[in-house]
Amino acid sequence: MAQQRTDTDWEAIERSPEFQELTRSKRAFVLPATIFFMVWYFGFIALCGYASDFMGREFITDGLTVGYVLALTQFVMSWWLAAWYVRRANRVWDPLSARVRDSVEGGVAGEPAPGTGRFRRGEAVAEHEEVPQR
Amino acid sequence: MTYIASVNGTALAVFGVVVGVTMIITYIASKRIATATDFWAAGRSLTGPQNGLAIAGDYMSAASFLGIAGLIFVFGFDGFLYCVGFLVAFLAVLFLLAEQMRNAGKYTFADVLAYRMKQPPARAAAALGTLAVVAFYLIAQMVGAGVIIEGLVGISFPWAVILTGAFMVTYIVLGGMLATSWVQIIKAVLMLSCGVVLTVWVLSEIGWNPINLFTDARAESSDGEAYLKPGLFLSTPLDTVSLGIGLVLGTAGLPHILMRFFTVPTAKAARSSVIWGMVLIGLFYLMTTALGFGSRAILGKGGEEAAGETGNCAVPTLADKLGGDLLLAIVAGVAFATILAVVAGLVISASGAVAHDVWSNIVRRNRDSEREEVWVAKIAAFGIGALAIFIAILGGATLNVSFMVGLAFAVAASANFPALLLSLTWRRFNTTGAVVGVLFGVISSVALVVISPTVWPGPDSEGGALSWYSLANPGILSVPIGFIGCFLGTMLARERAAEAKFDELKVRSETGLAAEPATGTTLTGRSRQQQRAAAAAATTMVPRM
Repeated sequence: MAQQRTDTDWEAIERSPEFQELTRSKRAFVLPATIFFMVWYFGFIALCGYASDFMGREFITDGLTVGYVLALTQFVMSWWLAAWYVRRANRVWDPLSARVRDSVEGGVAGEPAPGTGRFRRGEAVAEHEEVPQR
Repeated sequence: MTYIASVNGTALAVFGVVVGVTMIITYIASKRIATATDFWAAGRSLTGPQNGLAIAGDYMSAASFLGIAGLIFVFGFDGFLYCVGFLVAFLAVLFLLAEQMRNAGKYTFADVLAYRMKQPPARAAAALGTLAVVAFYLIAQMVGAGVIIEGLVGISFPWAVILTGAFMVTYIVLGGMLATSWVQIIKAVLMLSCGVVLTVWVLSEIGWNPINLFTDARAESSDGEAYLKPGLFLSTPLDTVSLGIGLVLGTAGLPHILMRFFTVPTAKAARSSVIWGMVLIGLFYLMTTALGFGSRAILGKGGEEAAGETGNCAVPTLADKLGGDLLLAIVAGVAFATILAVVAGLVISASGAVAHDVWSNIVRRNRDSEREEVWVAKIAAFGIGALAIFIAILGGATLNVSFMVGLAFAVAASANFPALLLSLTWRRFNTTGAVVGVLFGVISSVALVVISPTVWPGPDSEGGALSWYSLANPGILSVPIGFIGCFLGTMLARERAAEAKFDELKVRSETGLAAEPATGTTLTGRSRQQQRAAAAAATTMVPRM
């Protein structure tokens, strides 16, 4: 496996603009989304613990409690956030990470051939040397 | 349990079908698996939807199939609280771990946790976290299997446990993860179909208006208005929050769930499998509304004795009332398949911890062959299975099943999740931090459960062993303790090598560079030539999906 050679300069890839863009874009979604679902979920749990009477209040129709409706919003929230994540991953992050991989493997037109990419460390390592897997 | 009259012939026949089908799968799988990757990761060749079904099958135990509906039957709204936590938890898995596992790991979550650490101590810590979770979860499931099978089919408790353990070990030793995955897929299909049938049947009984579930159930409950409110089962507010923490963070530290992400070819497939899993798991948990409130509405107060103290037999009793002996037998068979799929997933993850983490990486320092590693895994699976059977029979039906599942989630949330998350996100995090964090997490969650009032001095006594401590769920304390352990340990030592390797782990986990290739082994089979072509294609790093 060419890409598992020890001569890959991971630090340089990490600092590359392509990778920085990927992590920045991903963090801009994951961090707020995680905070949002944690707040929404623990808000619900805290209400269950501390506001039992409010959760038991019925509205719209007899038998339907605030607590059950709020529980249903947790289902909707989970599916909606997950779908949003996948949309962004497919449209934004996959192309970005493909760009990072291309820049490493030199697969893009005009870039150096595989194995001679710009993230290779030193020249001494043989072309097809394999690192033990375990 | 009211069905312990004699062996139920119909149920036995359904059990026979379940065992027969899973054994055929295991036989086919045994002919296909050739490498360690086939054994632990099903050749990394499951599709996203297949793995999504397998995740649903791996995750939803008898506690989900019978336990939650039972809790709703007895305590009303509080039972449904579990469903919410169990589903929302997958957002943490999706956002923080699923793709990262696939990209940077190989067979066990320890591959990612210990990636940039000193191998022996970090692997040992991860193995401890894995084995602790599996021990509590597995024994809970085995005892549950014994109780349910004894109650529904009439096979005595020890024999029911021995049979469950024997089938579980057979799937793993002969068919590895390939057989385990397909057992889980079939179980998920059976369980969801069974849920749909029961839900539609219940709705037809109550006049097709879902709101009637609540009003009829309330009318049949001696708790009246309180039945539809939180607080009947979880009466201490702080305990409710603590349980919520354990549920939502525990899933992200369950070794058998994290292991499932190694069975797909790409990070994209790992992502799609979480979505499939979340849709299927969410749909089933929505149906527990009909199963739980419905069984209260239809069985009423008269069903309380048959359903048992914790309501575990509410769904079987409901099935018996609606569809008679045949539907009861089908529910029993599905419960059996459910338990088999979960215990197989647990034991294969434990065998990974013993063979891959402890034996290969600690004892043999990577000098063993792949063949040896798989052999050790099979011996480990056999040993773990035997031990679990022994403890389950020794502990017997008196072991409190729900507290052990809660403990498994607490250990996963307090020991595995902090170390795994920090390994991926905090450059300064190091081996000492991982070891101290896992130890703090395991010890604090186990100790807090032991001193909790439900365990010591016992459920019937007033107050706990320590008058100032009354939480039944340790999460609100043990999860912060786990994180503090990680932080303190890290600050004790400076490990430049681990910090330097952070870039490598980060780039690999986010991009899939140098990810382990798929072997192309599937149950339906491919020629060796196609398998080689698939492996070659995977190594060129072009995403295959």
